[in-house]
This record gives sequence, structure tokens and C-alpha cells, in this order.
Amino acid sequence: MKTPTWRQVSTEAKLLLIGIPVLIWTMLPIYHLFLFSISPKESAFAGKLWPDHPTLHNFEVVFREQHYYLSHFWLQIWNSLLIAVTVGVLTLLVATSAAFAISRLKVKGGRAVMNLALFTYFIPAAFLAVPMYKTMSTYGLLNSQWALILAMVTIAAPYSIWVLKQASDKLPYELDEAARIDGASPLQLFRLVYMPLMMPSLVAIGTYALLLAWNEYLYAFLLLSNDRQITLAVALGNFLAADDSPWELLMTVGLIYALPPAAIYYVFKRYMVGGLTAGAVKS
Amino acid sequence: MASVSFQNVEKAFGSTKVIHGIGFDIHDGEFMVLVGPSGCGKSTLLRMLAGLEEITGGTIAIDSKVVNDMESKDRDIAMVFQSYALYPHMTVADNMAFSLKLRKADAKTIEERVARAAKILNLEPYLKRYPRELSGGQRQRVAMGRAIVRDPKVFLFDEPLSNLDAKLRVAMRGEIKALHQRLKTTTVYVTHDQVEAMTMADRIVVMHDGRVEQIGTPLDLYDHPANLFVAQFIGSPAMNVIEGTVRRADGARHVEAGGVFWPLGNAAGSDGQAVAYGVRPEHLGLTSAADGVPAEIIVVEPTGAETELLVQAGAAQLTLVTHGRPQVNPGDRIGLAIEPGAVHLFDQKSGERIAP
Repeated sequence: MKTPTWRQVSTEAKLLLIGIPVLIWTMLPIYHLFLFSISPKESAFAGKLWPDHPTLHNFEVVFREQHYYLSHFWLQIWNSLLIAVTVGVLTLLVATSAAFAISRLKVKGGRAVMNLALFTYFIPAAFLAVPMYKTMSTYGLLNSQWALILAMVTIAAPYSIWVLKQASDKLPYELDEAARIDGASPLQLFRLVYMPLMMPSLVAIGTYALLLAWNEYLYAFLLLSNDRQITLAVALGNFLAADDSPWELLMTVGLIYALPPAAIYYVFKRYMVGGLTAGAVKS
Repeated sequence: MASVSFQNVEKAFGSTKVIHGIGFDIHDGEFMVLVGPSGCGKSTLLRMLAGLEEITGGTIAIDSKVVNDMESKDRDIAMVFQSYALYPHMTVADNMAFSLKLRKADAKTIEERVARAAKILNLEPYLKRYPRELSGGQRQRVAMGRAIVRDPKVFLFDEPLSNLDAKLRVAMRGEIKALHQRLKTTTVYVTHDQVEAMTMADRIVVMHDGRVEQIGTPLDLYDHPANLFVAQFIGSPAMNVIEGTVRRADGARHVEAGGVFWPLGNAAGSDGQAVAYGVRPEHLGLTSAADGVPAEIIVVEPTGAETELLVQAGAAQLTLVTHGRPQVNPGDRIGLAIEPGAVHLFDQKSGERIAP
């Protein structure tokens, strides 16, 4: 092996000097989360770097729903999952069709519609929560999980359309022409040529919408109220309603809740980076 | 197999008119090349025939059936694109089978046709590969394979060789020509390369600024260009053109340009007419300064088989091609011998050929 030069060593050192503190800074809360989840209730606030008697008892309590706040743990995590996956699928359906129509079929006025949709991002989603609540009540969807699903699709769709449109602009138009001459109808073109080629971007956008819904608190809190319908994120918030919150359980559930996104991100990492930057630069 | 007919075809993008009423017929089984500089409308014309562009005016007919309002897929044509336009996510076999699958052909027919096309194009070892694993020439052959499995009425080629390097281009040129001789399918081929046009075509349509300049067989265009544009576009190196006036001197007719007298032979043209005097580089010969048109050698370019000379005569610079290896050097004073009957004369104003 070649001996690194001074220059290389010093560059490396500088990067590490910045990198290590940043890493510690980001990892610290997560470590805290972990620490809480393996500490017994009494020593949760002991302020130690490692508990004297690490235990998995908290996980047992959570998984067996042995606490008042956790009585619907499995149902609520299922709700979270169901809503997140539905939002992911619906957003993909809406955004892919829109991007295909705007970018490939070049439907008149398509760009205007896309820009209008993007315009909604000028208003923070939190401000739209109350109007959204009113809308859902008009449609009689309050207390139905569809209210949250539709709201999240609405929020995720404009960005998704934009990213997919940018990505599909990069596919050579000759492919469409070749397919048309080969005898493909627009739907066959969509299914047999467009979708397979867009797969990396579709995975990225699907994941984006899924995680957005999984992590959502405000809308879920507003639009769902029944204990059997709420997502785990809302249920976690309810922990804080008590004077004496079971912190160690809160943290344990938090840790569990953070695992699926981490896993999804890890699995689709390749697509996430490629897909989300694919539309980033207008070329 | 089919004939194709263009009648007064026009195309406008918004208010910009790019094709101004073009009409000609392509015979059954003919290899027709559309050639012209970029922006002349040749690709647009082809795309209108393919159904990829709307037809603004006039009619296009395939086998006497007007196709103006017919979808691409119903026109029974196949097209080969400059960028190949292969489906990147399909294997070579799937690329070729795609159109047949869309037409719901049965598996046996698909397999047979793909196998036949692969055999013709020497693609058999690559059927399971993806386009990204192929070289440029192989991709081009797959694009052609995709066209021939369909057994269409008309093949359309849109600058198919432009993305290949020079050597491969010559090889593929031969392959396409051989393919046509074997299949005898009516073919419309667009290129900006006049050498491709000359070597491949049964007939050539020379286009310029959205109009047809001339239609004819390659040698017809070469020997009898209808106007200055065709004269200078067809042939490499290009025809020498000198602007001057027809004059009678010493009992013979000449074109006088800046004090130099160019022999007219028996070419037409009336005295005093302002003309463009054209002569191809290979019709110029070397002789002594006393016998021919006096000139000075500027550059000598030997290529082995032939030698190209750049010479100056009066204000004009001319190219001369000779098969010999003349012993001349830059600065030598020589005479230019011009073959009688090899002179092309054009009206200076209109650019039209002056008969014969």
C-alpha cells in the first residue's frame, strides 16, 4: 500500500474534525432514545451513559400492551402502516399519471396545472390544517382514516408530480415515437415503456410519500380522534397528556416507530439518492 | 410492398412554414433518399409520412390510400431512428418482438420472425443481451431488426448512421443496401450526407429550405444538376463555380471572369449573359501554362490513389483531382485543361441550369 502524503492526511483530518462532532450531534438524541428504552423506570433519569441494569422489560410491556396508553399498540402501528402504504400507493398513482400526461402526452395546460399545484407549497401545511379539517367535515370524512389519507396525498402530490415530471423529461422522446410506430396505445406506452424506465424515481417518490405519512403528526392528530383509528404517532403524543408520563415506554415506542423508516431508507437508499436528485437539476 | 405519394405537402409550425408544397412519388420497392443540408425539412417530411407530425396541407398516400388522419400504428410502416430508440429495459429479442406482441401475434410466429431477423442481421449471439451491452453498430442492427420483423409496407430511416464512426458507417451503408436488395421493401432514407445518398439510392430527392430542388438517379443528379444548389451539394469535393459573363473571343465562346477566359465548348448561353460557370474537380486536367487556362498551384494534397490540388486562376480558387501523381509544387505556374462537354452553365440570377 502507498503511504499517504501529508496533504492527504491533513485533508482527511480536517474532514474528520468536522464530521465527528456532526455525527455525535445527530446521534446523541437517538442514543438517548435507546438509553431510555433499555433503562428500568426508576433509573431512566439517572443521567448515566449506560444504565446499571440494562433491561428489555420496556419492550415486553410495549409488545404485550401492558400499559393503559399502550392498550392499542399493535392496532395503532397497523393503522400507521396501512395509512402510510395507502398514501404511498395513491400518491404514486396520481403523480405518475400526472407526470406522464404533462411530460409525455404533452397535454395542453398540463404545465400550468403542475405550477398551480406547486404553488400550494407557498402556504405552510400547518396553516392549511384547519381548512382541510373543514373540508373533510363537509365531505363527512372526519373520524375516517380516509380523511388523513386524502390529506396526505394532497400534500405529497405536487412535489411528487414535479420530481417525476423532471425525471420523465429526461427519457428520450424517440422511445415514445418508436413505441407509437410499433403500435402501442398511450396506455400500453405507459405500462410497457414508461413505468419500467421510471422505476427508480417511482421507488423514491413512493418512499417519500410513505415516510411523509408515517411521520405525520399534526394532520393525524386533527383528523382522527378515536383510539382505534389513530396512528402510533398520535398515540405517542397522548402519552404527554398525563402528569406522570411513562417516559421509558414513550421512548421505547419512539425507537420502534423509527425503525421502519430507517429500514426502508436503507433498502431503497440507492433509489432515494438517484431518484430525488434526478429531478433536482433542470438540464 | 407499397408505393408512396406526396401531393402538395405543406408543414407549418405555428406561423413558420417549413415545407412549401412538396409533391413526388416513390415507386414500389424503390430505395428513395431524401438529402439536404440540416434544416431543409427532410426529417420533417419523413416524420409526416411516419405519422409523428401533423400534415398542415396536401396529402400523403401509401399504396394510394391517403394516410393524413391515420395513426402511425395503422400506416404499416417501420422506422429506424438516429438515436436507435431501443427500449433500454428489454433484451434484444424483446425489443424486436415488441411490435408483434402488441399486435397479439402468437408466440410461434414471434419466435420465427425474430429468429429470421436475427439471422439476416447476424444478431443471433446477442438476443439475450440488453441494448447497453451492445456496440453502436450492433444497436443500429437491432433497430433495423425491430423494423424488419414487422414486415411493413415501408421502411423509414432517419439519419440512421450519423451516430456511428466513419468506418462503421461505410460498413452499415453496405448492410442496409444489401438488406434492401434482399427484402425489396419500399424504403425512404433521410440523410445530410450526399455520399450516403449517392451510394445507396435508387433515386434521390434533393431538398433545400422546404422545397424540392431536384429528383433523379444519383448519376443523373451528378451529370445534370438542375441548378447551382444541386451542383454544389452533390459531389465531393464540390464542383468549382466561377461567376462571369459569356463573351466571344478569338472565334470561340468563353466565360470571362476577372480577366481569365474559361472555355465554353459547345455549352449554351448567350453573349453578355451573367452566368455561373461550373466544372467538377475531376474534369480539370494539368497542362502547360501556354496551352490551358493559366493558374498557380497553392496546395498539393496527395492521398495515394489520387491527388487533390488547390489552384488559383485569376480571383478564383479551384480544386482539381487527378488520378496520377503530378510532379508539381506550390507556386508552380501551370495551365488548366478543361474537358469539353464537362462544363455546367447556370444563370447567375436564378441559379437554374442553362440547357443542355
